[in-house]
Parts: sequence; C-alpha cells; structure tokens
Amino acid sequence: MEKKPLIKPRTMSAVKDFVCVVPALIFLVVFTYYPICKLVQISFTDWNLINETWKYVGLKNWIWLFNGSGTKYLLNSLKVTAIYTVGELSITLIGGMALALIFNRFNRAFSIMRAVVFVPKYVAMSSAAVVFLWILDKEHGIVNYLFSLVGLPAVDWIGSRGTAMISVLLLTGWRAVGYGMMIYLSAMISISSDYYEAAALDGASAAQRFFKITLPMLSPTTLFLFVTTFLSSMKVFQSVDILTGGGPYRSTEVFVYKIYSYAMVDFRMDRASVMAIAFFILLLVVTASTFKVSNKNVHYDS
Amino acid sequence: MAKAKTAREARLERDRNARRKKKIVMIVQYVLAVTVTVIILFPLYWMISSSFKSQEEILLPIPTLWPKEFHPENYISVFRRGNFAKYYYNTIVMTVGILVSQIVTGIFGAYGFSKGAFKGQNACFIFVLGALMIPSQVTFIPIYIMCANWGLSDTFLGLILPSLVSPYYIFMLRQTFKAIDDSYVDAAKVDGLGRVGIITKILAPMCRSTLFTVTLVTFTNGWNSYFWPKIIAKNEKRRVLTIGLAMLKNTFAGQGTMNNHEIMAGAVVAILPVVILFFIFQKYMLTGYSKAAMK
Amino acid sequence: MKKTLAILLTGAMAVSLLGGCSGGGSTGGGKTTTAAATTAAATTAAATTAAATTAAAASSDTTAAATEAPAASSQYAVTEPITIQWWHALEDQYSQTVADVVDEFNKSQDLITVEAVYIGNYSAVNEALVAAHAAGTGLPAITVANGPNLATYAEGGLPENLEPYIADSGYDVDDFAKGMIDACTYQGTRFALPFLISTQTVYYNKDLAKELNVTVPEKFEDMDAFLEATTEFNADGTTKRYGAIIPGWDNNYFETLFQNQGLKLVNDDQISTDLGSEKGIEIVKKIKEWCEKGYIYWASGTNASSIMRQHFIDKEAFSVFHTTSLYDTYVDRCDFEVGMAWLPGGDTKNQEIGGSLLIIPSKNDQATKNAAWQFLMFLCGKDVNMKWADETGYLPTRNSVLKTDEGVKFLERKPEFENIFKNLDIIYPKIQHPGWSQMTSIWKSYMSEIMIEDVDIESKIEDMVEEINEVLEDS
Repeated sequence: MEKKPLIKPRTMSAVKDFVCVVPALIFLVVFTYYPICKLVQISFTDWNLINETWKYVGLKNWIWLFNGSGTKYLLNSLKVTAIYTVGELSITLIGGMALALIFNRFNRAFSIMRAVVFVPKYVAMSSAAVVFLWILDKEHGIVNYLFSLVGLPAVDWIGSRGTAMISVLLLTGWRAVGYGMMIYLSAMISISSDYYEAAALDGASAAQRFFKITLPMLSPTTLFLFVTTFLSSMKVFQSVDILTGGGPYRSTEVFVYKIYSYAMVDFRMDRASVMAIAFFILLLVVTASTFKVSNKNVHYDS
Repeated sequence: MAKAKTAREARLERDRNARRKKKIVMIVQYVLAVTVTVIILFPLYWMISSSFKSQEEILLPIPTLWPKEFHPENYISVFRRGNFAKYYYNTIVMTVGILVSQIVTGIFGAYGFSKGAFKGQNACFIFVLGALMIPSQVTFIPIYIMCANWGLSDTFLGLILPSLVSPYYIFMLRQTFKAIDDSYVDAAKVDGLGRVGIITKILAPMCRSTLFTVTLVTFTNGWNSYFWPKIIAKNEKRRVLTIGLAMLKNTFAGQGTMNNHEIMAGAVVAILPVVILFFIFQKYMLTGYSKAAMK
Repeated sequence: MKKTLAILLTGAMAVSLLGGCSGGGSTGGGKTTTAAATTAAATTAAATTAAATTAAAASSDTTAAATEAPAASSQYAVTEPITIQWWHALEDQYSQTVADVVDEFNKSQDLITVEAVYIGNYSAVNEALVAAHAAGTGLPAITVANGPNLATYAEGGLPENLEPYIADSGYDVDDFAKGMIDACTYQGTRFALPFLISTQTVYYNKDLAKELNVTVPEKFEDMDAFLEATTEFNADGTTKRYGAIIPGWDNNYFETLFQNQGLKLVNDDQISTDLGSEKGIEIVKKIKEWCEKGYIYWASGTNASSIMRQHFIDKEAFSVFHTTSLYDTYVDRCDFEVGMAWLPGGDTKNQEIGGSLLIIPSKNDQATKNAAWQFLMFLCGKDVNMKWADETGYLPTRNSVLKTDEGVKFLERKPEFENIFKNLDIIYPKIQHPGWSQMTSIWKSYMSEIMIEDVDIESKIEDMVEEINEVLEDS
C-alpha cells in the first residue's frame, strides 16, 4: 500500500501551474496596479521633485485642472489630441483602404512594392522623425524646393501653427498607412469570390461591388483598425517630442507630451499626476464606448 | 447565317472590350502602385542619399538627388563624435534583456493560463488583461520615482525592469496555446514530461510561427523604444540609439550649422538591424500584425 | 465571471496590437484604487520621513563640519584614491579642451581621477540633476549648472554650501568679477563658483557695416533706422537679408530689451510680472512691427539655432543676437570679419551673466565632495579659465586678468571683447526665482506666437501675464 502523500498530487499540480504565472502577477502588481494607486495619492500633494518635502493639499490640483488655470491646458491638450486622432484615423482607415485596393494584385512586382509600403512601420520613429525634419526643413528641405519649382512660397512646416500638426501627421501617417493596407488586404483576400461572381452576373459595376460587398464585409476589420488606431493615437508622444516639442505655441501639445513635460521638465509631479489621471479616465471612457459600439454592431466569427 | 455571325462578332467585340478594360485597369493600378511606392520610399531614399553627402552639398539651393561625391566619413563621425558605438551596445543589451525576460515570463505565464488548472485562474487572467488597459504613459511617474529611488537611473536594470513582463505577449501566446488540443499535453504528462519539458518539447515547437512573430514584434518594439529610455537614462552612459539620434542635433550643435548629412547617417545606422531583420523574416513580419488582427 | 472575461478578451484583442501598452477599461482597476492608495500613502509617508531624517542628519553634519573647519582642516582633505564624475554641457566642438583639462588635472595629483560626462544641453543637465537629487543616487560629484537654476536648486537643498570649503582652503574668491560671484550666491550663501561665463552680444558683419556705413545702435529707439539700413529686400518684397535675427528659442537674448527700458520681469512681490504693462506691450508691438516689415527674423522652433547661424554665415542676416561664448565658432565659420556689439539698451544698458556655474551636489558623501572641491578649484582656476577664454568665446572671470596687463594682452588677441571688458560692472546676475523656468517657457511660447502669427497682441499678452502670474505664485 502506497503512503498517502502530504499534498495531493492534484493540489501539487495546481500549485506548480500557479507558480508559472506568479512572476507575471507580481510584476503587474508592482509596475502597473500600484503605480496607478500611487498616482492618485500624488495628485493630492504639492510634490515638486526638487523639494525635499511635500504635504497634502487636498483637492488643490484637481481644482486647478478642472476649474482653475489648468483647465485651459487640459482643454488645449484635449483639442490637440482629438485633431491628431482624427487625422491618424483618416490616414490609417481611408488611406489604408485606398492602398489596399491599389495593391490588390498578386505577382512578384506587387509583393515587392507591398513590402516597401509596409517597411516604414519598422523604421524607428526617431529615425523617421529626423528624416522628416530634414525633408520639411524650411530653408533646405526638399519639399519646399519642390514647392518653389511650381511657384509656391516656402512653408515653415514645423514652425508655424497651421502646418505643425500636418507635419506630425505626415510623419505618423507615413508609418501607419502601410499597416492599414496590410490589415485590409489580408481581410480582403478572405472574402469569398462567390460574392463577386454573383454580383458580376447581376451586372454590378465596380463601384457597386465595392460599396455593396467589400466595404460591408470589411466592417469587423475597420472596427478593429478604428479601435486600435484610436487608442494608440491618443497616446502619441515620440513624433511630437522630436518634431515639434509640443510647439509652436502649444499647437501640438498632445496629452502625453503635456504630462511628460510637467513631470520631467518642470518636475511638477503634482500637476503631472492629476493630468495623467484625467488622461487615464478619458482612455477608459473611450475604450468602454468603443466596446459598446463593437458589441452592438460587429460580430466576430471565431 | 449573317445573324449568327453578328452574334459571334458581338461576343468577340464584348470580350475584346472586357480585355481592353481589364488592361486599362491593370495599367492604372500599376501606375498608382508605383507612384505610391515611390512616395513612400522617398524618405528612406533621401535619408540614405543625404547621409553620403558633404555639408556643402546638402546646403545647395538646388538639391542633388544622388551624392556628387561620396562621404562615408559621415558614418565615422557618428561613431566617433556621436558616441554611437556606446548607444548601440546599450540598445542591444536592453533589447536582449527585455526579449529574454518577456519570452520566459510570457511562455510560462501563457502555459499557466492555458494548460494549467488552479483556483482563481480566470480572475488572475482578468488581472493580466486589465494591465493591458493601463498604459505606461499614465503610470510612468510613480514607476520612475520607484526606479530612481532604487538607484536604477542610468542602469541596464532600470531600462529593462518596467518591461520584464508583457501582458500582450502572455495574452497572444495563451490564445495560441489554447488552440492546441489538450491531448498532446496529457500524452506528454503520461510520458513523464514536466512543465518545462512540455513547453520546450511540445508547445513551443507547435506554435513556432506565432512565437516567432510575437518575438519579432517584441524585438522591434524594444529596439525602437523611446519614452521610457528618455525618462530613466539621461546620462550618456546608458543612452540608447533612439534617444542619441534625437539628441544628435544638440551634440553637433557646436559645429553651428545644418549637419543633416551626419544626422541622416545616424538615422541609417539606427534602423539598420531592424530593416535587415525585416527583409530576412519578411514573411513573418508582414503577417505578424495582420495575423493578430484576424484572431 | 465568464462574461467579464469574454468582454475583456474582445478588448484585449482590440488593444493587443499596440505593442503591449494600451488604454482601456477594466472594472477591477477602479475598485482597488482607493484602498491601495491609502496603504501606498502610508508607505511613502514613512519613506519620506526617513529620507528627510537622513537629509537633516547630513546637513547637520555639514554645519558641524563648518564650525569645526578651522580647527580640523583634514575634514576637507582628500586622503584616499577616488574617482569622481563631472557632468558638463560642452558639445562636441569643446571635447578636445575638456579632455585636455581633465587630463591635466588627473596628472597633477595622484588621488583623484575625474571622468567627464557629456549630458546634453543645460536643460538636459537640469533634468538629469534634479532627477538624481530626488532619488539621492546617481549624482555626479560636480556638475555645471545654468545660472537661473541656482535659486531652484538652493531652495531644494541640492547644492552644497561652499562657504566652509572656501574658508578651509583659503581659496581667493575675491578675485572673481563681482557680478559673476554674485550670480553664484543665493540669499547670501555661496552655492557655486563661476566656470564658463558669457553674456549676450550682437554679432554683426563688419565688412558689410563698413560698406553700408552703419553701427549697431546703442539705444532701442534707434533700431528703426539701423534695421532699415541693413535689411535688403528681393524684388518680390521678401527679405533677402535680415537686419537682425533674434533667437525666440531662448529668452536670454531678448529679456534685456525689456529690462533696460525699466520693465520688471518679476515684480518685487515675487508673484507677478510687469510684462503686461503699457511699456511691455509697446516693446512687443515694436518688435512685431519689425518682424512684419521683414527687418527681423524671429527664430523659434526645432531647428531655429542652426537656421539662425546658417543665415548669418551665408550673409542672409546682417546681425544676430547670441552668446559671446560662440565667438570663435562664428569667426571660424564666416568668411567675413565678425564684429561684436553691445545689445541695444534703454534707460540702462545692462546685460546679464550667462553660461555655467559649478556646483557640488550636497547628497554626495564627504570624501566625494572633498575631491569635487579640489577639482572645482582647479576648473575655476585662472589657468583653466584662460585656456577656455582663449580657445572659445567664454570670458575671463578674474579681476587679476580683467583689470591688469593680462587683460590688455587678451584684448590684443581678441579685440572684439573690449566692449565687454569695459562694461563688466553692468553685467548682472540673472533673475533668481524658483518659478523662472516655467515662466520663461510660457513667455517664449507667447512671444513666438505674437511674432510669427497674426494675432491680437493685447489679448495674447493678457493671457500670457495671467499664466505667468499663476506659476510665479505657485512656485
């Protein structure tokens, strides 16, 4: 007769399985959940990184942000981030779709061209940004040279309010549009050709086929791209940091950039924290509402 | 007779028309595709061509498409004066560190959540998914303060620590492991394989392609990361390529003037490894994102 | 549970492609927040108290040391071999000089080895330094600091009080020019010593000045005539050559235009600015007028500094407002004779001290601080200082140079500096206010907007003053 083990094998196995996930759980507690709580705490203090001490100041920072002199910055960042988001969404969705239609041909030449269009996604943003700084340079940039050839005046792409955001969008769009194309293209391939054959028999025009078949069949993909791009573009930082530094005159001062500059440039941890929480809440709201929309309108068949 | 002939002619005519139309569509498609490709390729082309020009040449009122004479010394200058060798080393160590730890914690985590069985498994998994929703752009302030207090500013550990575990990696692998039939795992257990054995001998080989794709994405993200290195590594000692490149403007500023030829050389050097990887593993990297999208 | 999981899965799918960092909605996160925050609060409070106690202990050490100093001077002696770090902001073109100076020091004695580390520009040094100070680790033994930051640093206890070191070593600080040593003092205590000192200047094309027979005006109100004479237009009305370029990226170069007309950037109450006064608006409007006429190029934005220098070198600008420290660079790069003129003044013609001071972070241990002090004395010493002055455009800092034959010899080598030597008494330290850097970033942003865009000046200035007053008050 075998002796009964101290711990049941089943329990032992469960413990071992649990051990597999423990490192990840501990990590997430320390580096994700705890910081969020800590952030809330800091938002009730007057902590400036340079000072040795801090004290609780109640709702001061919250009032500053939502009903004080900080509101102006909050609204500006909201506006700027919204403009950027709309821009990147248009480029990824509309641009991506257009490119998917153009590159929808399968031979060697096209597969090489597709790879080229996609490669910017893998080019580090900082490299891409310095290249765009150079291309868009007011004095010696190639874009302004091309403009001069057709008689247009030189544009201060990065330095003036009207065009700074366009420059940022050109940069991020350059990296994103090939990605949008790839996603759409791989979804298009999976649309059964039966639909198109049937439509052709009915004598449907190309435009009709696109709007009646392709577009509706791609709706889950569109939604997917919409949600992911929406959320990622709200968190834009790097392109703004290198290209414009939030300028000129706050016209590209997106949310994350503002939080960053409060924390790491002005060392105002108090204001940075309350701003970060506001941003987090905004993200939650956006995500919750996109889920609601997606649950209603789109069915993933997995 | 005549009537039949006309019908045939009409059909031929229709075929011809259709063929012609198809041909026009094809030509238009080619023209558009080539145009788009050229436009998208242009910044990369311009980066490489500028990187070989002299300063006089980049400042010419009429830009030259191709360098009049080659100046590879721009690249030497990036390494000698711009300290890019150090940045390279730092970036490699950081990326490898992140990669290894994310793979290990990711595979074990994914195993636990897919093939393991323990009380509270679902709750724990929700905990992981929830983390996916909290971006580092929000939490960086307390994380920075923690790391700084632990003396991790300007250290490799500081660069790597906040990226030790990737909920994304765990999630992706868990989905893939889940798709594998439990019978494989059970059979392996009967054969006396432990967890490490099951993972390395059964699960990992079966999910090779996903594993590979996700790892490539992780590598690229690590190599190209910017936000956190900018915060934690302010010192030249542990500066990474992305930051070094963005700062090159200041480092060379003393030379006074436009030095985009050297900055472009830096940009080329910085993206080289990832672009090479891209062309070697094109198949995986092209499908990498779309695969996940289709899940 | 299942349902939550399903929803989250969908969410995760949606966000997972963003490379692992995404925003979204978890119901769990919100609930735990309050409870955990309380615990977190308790922990940090404890930690902070501990830190504060250590800091207090450390500073009382120093005080004790200070009082004992004359008796036991070994307190500040370096007795064991030590390697220390020096943070600086000297770009590539100075790297040879940096290497030479460090090398010379390392060879001059056996115990201390100095490592020079380039951090970036002054704001990069500032960010790194404050971060290291807050963490209490990773501090350099000695670092450069930009003048206006000293107030903030001293308020936060960052720099070591240098008085006891000066007393102990008998270092002759009276030899430093008065304005320069004043710039190192905050509320009566010396926290720094002057290292590389510069001041604002107007570089101009001397060849062209002779040709056009113009001089850079001494008074702001004479600027109109000067700009009209020096600006050249293309046939289509665009500017071919600007009369002057003003750096909008750094307030350093335009703030004296305001101050010399009697304007207070920070009022005596320390919580408000006078920039919104009638005089302030008038000055802004005048500069705007010049910009609109095409006389002045307001250089701001990412590449502003290189654009400005390139214009001047290419003779597309008659003059630029910049720092004396770049004198040698300009001379090297221009194929015409470069002149240096005093900035146009008003009732006064004061200028300000720019460049860098040296400080020793107080949180270092005593041995490191002692070694740092040795190196600091060396860096601020006359020989090193003159090496910089000769090889770059930084100024000699010592009376024993400035007011003696040595100075005369220096001027023979660099005659353009005569104006500065003559006027040393009116080069003052910059404003010291903890909110200064926040204030100036607001100021710069609005100035550029007004100069470049078509906006209503009065209402913009009103907004600006409101913002500035707020940060001054809250700092």
